Amino acid sequence: MKTQSFWEVTTPHRPEFPELEGNLDVDVAIIGGGITGITTALQLTDAGRSVAVLEARRVGGGTTGWSTGNLYVPTGAYYHKIQGSRDAETITSVAAARRSALDFIEQQTVQKKIDCHFSRRPWYFFTQEKDMVSTIEKEVEALQRAGMPVTFVDDIPLLPRARFQKAARMDGQARFHPLRYVLGIATDIASRGCQVYEHTTVIDLKEEKDHCTIQTNHGTVTCRQVVIATHIPIGIHTVQTVAAPHRSYVIAVKLKSGNYPDAYFWQNDTMHKAITTHSTDSMELDMLMIAGNHHKTGQASHQEYHHYFKELEDYARKHFDVASVEYRWSAQHYRSGDGVPYIGLTHKDARRTYIATGFYADGLIYGTVAGILLGDMLVGKENTWLKAFDATRGTNLATAATFVKENVNVAAQYLKDSPFSADAEHLSEISLGEGKVLEMDGEKVAVYRDENNHLHACSAVCTHMKCIVHWNNAENTWDCPCHGSRFMIDGSVIEGPAIANLETKQIDSSNGRLVKDERHHSGQRDLNNPIT
Amino acid sequence: MTTIYIAIGFFALAALLGMYLLSFVLRGKETPKAIVFTHGPLAAIGIILLIVYILKGGPNPWESLVLFVLAALGGIYMVFRDLTGKPIPRLLAVGHGLLAVTGFVLLLVFALNG
Repeated sequence: MKTQSFWEVTTPHRPEFPELEGNLDVDVAIIGGGITGITTALQLTDAGRSVAVLEARRVGGGTTGWSTGNLYVPTGAYYHKIQGSRDAETITSVAAARRSALDFIEQQTVQKKIDCHFSRRPWYFFTQEKDMVSTIEKEVEALQRAGMPVTFVDDIPLLPRARFQKAARMDGQARFHPLRYVLGIATDIASRGCQVYEHTTVIDLKEEKDHCTIQTNHGTVTCRQVVIATHIPIGIHTVQTVAAPHRSYVIAVKLKSGNYPDAYFWQNDTMHKAITTHSTDSMELDMLMIAGNHHKTGQASHQEYHHYFKELEDYARKHFDVASVEYRWSAQHYRSGDGVPYIGLTHKDARRTYIATGFYADGLIYGTVAGILLGDMLVGKENTWLKAFDATRGTNLATAATFVKENVNVAAQYLKDSPFSADAEHLSEISLGEGKVLEMDGEKVAVYRDENNHLHACSAVCTHMKCIVHWNNAENTWDCPCHGSRFMIDGSVIEGPAIANLETKQIDSSNGRLVKDERHHSGQRDLNNPIT
Repeated sequence: MTTIYIAIGFFALAALLGMYLLSFVLRGKETPKAIVFTHGPLAAIGIILLIVYILKGGPNPWESLVLFVLAALGGIYMVFRDLTGKPIPRLLAVGHGLLAVTGFVLLLVFALNG
């Protein structure tokens, strides 16, 4: 089964936004048209700023449209762990920010009459394993300390009391259709003067003394401030030394009974699962989703990526009366060193460039938090959340271990790039629909053989920081194991920090060797291959 | 003197890998990063051993050390350029190699005379 986001399929009337044509001068340029960029644009448009949103692909078509549509105050990084690496004040601030963001989304859906199935419902947190009870207890205690109304319960809609060890519940959480919501906001701000551009790829960005200059594939944007809302900052950035990329998997299933619980569940066992329900085209619940199986991008423990979906499907069939598996997809998230996102000025000397990253798998709420916080920062309004999220806070002793661990991991990926080490020696070893890295004429080449037996070849050297990409056979993409850049089979960037596409290669079919190309020097990137 | 001979061993291994890397740079190809990140640490260990020897006092190959340190700075700069997507100037790569080879020859002469 092909991977396809439920949200993409259930968005019937998707508005089109134009490509940038020529040069532009605005107060604020926002790179990225996901929930973070669009919420920031909303706040700044409301504040009277001239704003341009520059989206490389489609608005909401990145992680926002490939999420699971849940809105909740808890966080996958766990408040009790955040308190360990930061302090009690931080968790109070983070919880308050997340609750405000949830209220903000509800307010927008009502005010702007966005048909995105927003509905309040409870969140349940439970475990079936004795060893995990203490985690539930610690997290409930931390949430209560942060002022959140969470309580232990003896019944949950999914399981009889005898089948779980400990459970907690928090009311007032919510579900919505994230793509419809973001497109609704984008349509609203575009009608009020915000310039939203799709298929407009940023290829360079410079902060000058009194302005910023952004080069795109269609023109130059000059602005006073810039927000990099691309999930992880594009290009090379110090935050990439701690914000580790992970992929997680989702399946959406129909149930024979048609009995879909109206709640969001976290099963906190050794293998964490998130269980949720949503509706296709009305407020009536008709789809159950199960998410989980995180692993570092490009570093799957199973070469067969389909394993991750299969494991979710087995889980679903074991616990629910599954009629059919309708959709399956995967999404990326970045984890911060201390469990709290990095939002604000990009570094201590920056005056005009802002970032938002490290959302864990809680990005719909954190993206909204970032939009509200950045909106305030850019108009000079004080916001008490800044202390918790400040992107310039650096690493402390508690996060130093994460810093070391992540960078040792990156170094280990580089050490795999040795001569004569490749997935295959000959093109004939690549089956139909399969991708492998080959060494050809002293170069690592990523080769994919499509179902029509055509070869698609590009350099296997990631254009971000030169790691060797790995084949992801569930999504037919090339994924970089170092910093999470992902590329399509033609080498074009899907997401991640890479700006330039993988360099395309030509293979001489008569002898199976690379066609010589003298344009490139060692170390040089190919920027002349924009995403289309 | 044993320290010097061990240092020479590390420099010799680093030199072999360095020549291999140079062949990639001169052909305009991406360098294999496993070799890059092995070549550098091998040379760094050689430099540390050389410093240890010099700190013991007495006659010492300080000219070699200066040349190796200059070569190392050039190497770090090339790695920085490589990983950040900037082309590696071929002249810099050759110069880096020549500095190191000169330092290596002077070190050999010192060891053989000692």
